[in-house]
Amino acid sequence: MDSKRIEQLLEKYWDAQTSLEEEEELHQYFKNNPVPEVWKETAELFRYFDHEKNKMITDLNFDQAVTKQLSQRQEKKVIEMKSWLQIARVAAGVLVVVAAVYLIGLEVRNSSTKEIADTETDPQLAFEETKKALLMISRSFNKAQQEASKINLLNEAEQKIKSKTSETEKDKKENI
Amino acid sequence: MYFRLAIETMNLEDFENRVLPTKNKLYRFAFRLLGSSEEAKDVVQEAMIKVWNGRDLGEVQNMEAWCMRITKNISLDKLRSRQRKMTHSIDTNFEVRHEGLTPHENTEMHENMKRINQLMTQLPDKQRQVMHLRDIEGHSYNEICEMLELDMNQVKVNLFRARNAVREKLIKLNAYGL
Repeated sequence: MDSKRIEQLLEKYWDAQTSLEEEEELHQYFKNNPVPEVWKETAELFRYFDHEKNKMITDLNFDQAVTKQLSQRQEKKVIEMKSWLQIARVAAGVLVVVAAVYLIGLEVRNSSTKEIADTETDPQLAFEETKKALLMISRSFNKAQQEASKINLLNEAEQKIKSKTSETEKDKKENI
Repeated sequence: MYFRLAIETMNLEDFENRVLPTKNKLYRFAFRLLGSSEEAKDVVQEAMIKVWNGRDLGEVQNMEAWCMRITKNISLDKLRSRQRKMTHSIDTNFEVRHEGLTPHENTEMHENMKRINQLMTQLPDKQRQVMHLRDIEGHSYNEICEMLELDMNQVKVNLFRARNAVREKLIKLNAYGL
């Protein structure tokens, strides 16, 4: 290659005006040619650049080490999600139970307190109320007993019919 | 919605095709900033996991530039925490930079190349980053802007200064054989 051209390119290079293609030309020139003494150090510089570009990670299992870490992280994420869902599920269940207990409790308290509340403070009134309630129960019992006696009547009638039929059968046998 | 997700979310295959192949480039860059091979490898690994975790890459068009940007940020964080440590206990944590060459690399590398390596490590951070991405990796100015989060003017100025600093030192080397 023409050394004039190289000289021009180098001037441009030091001025940071060269394109990538022109810089590639310089790299190629200094790689192959026996270089004039003036450019000995410059040639070293370009050879240094080329040398540095060949530096590599020499660990053979570098890729594996990285991808292994990635898959571990992915699993962890999935597990995290799963356990989170589990916790949410349990929490939702507990919440439903607590809410139900609270609401039912509220309902029970509202409905039961109204009737009892008045009598609790006055023993006399409480006694009267209790008497009333017991009387109501005994009245109901009596009523039930009256009804039940009707069933007895039926039983008696049945007995009479039975005894009568057996007597007539006996008479028939005797006549025969 | 589903369609969008299907396009933007990266799966393992995408990762292997688009992210993993950048590893050597990222490694070289991290090494350039940190000067330690082990640390550089850790940074690359960390960067790749970060890329994976932020998989909903709606606005990422140039994956390589995106990876490089993350690598740069992690490397700079490492440098900062290293400097913090150094100010805390100068005696115990004093590190000579760029001793991370393996014995093999050390013997392989010509004396002159070692000198040039020294020249580059002496450059200010930004100049070193721009020069690395342009002269070693061969990236366009636009790509370098995206990778380093700089505007075009800053990239050009830093490259200009870096090349000039290197040139001056090379001339001195030539003249005095230092």
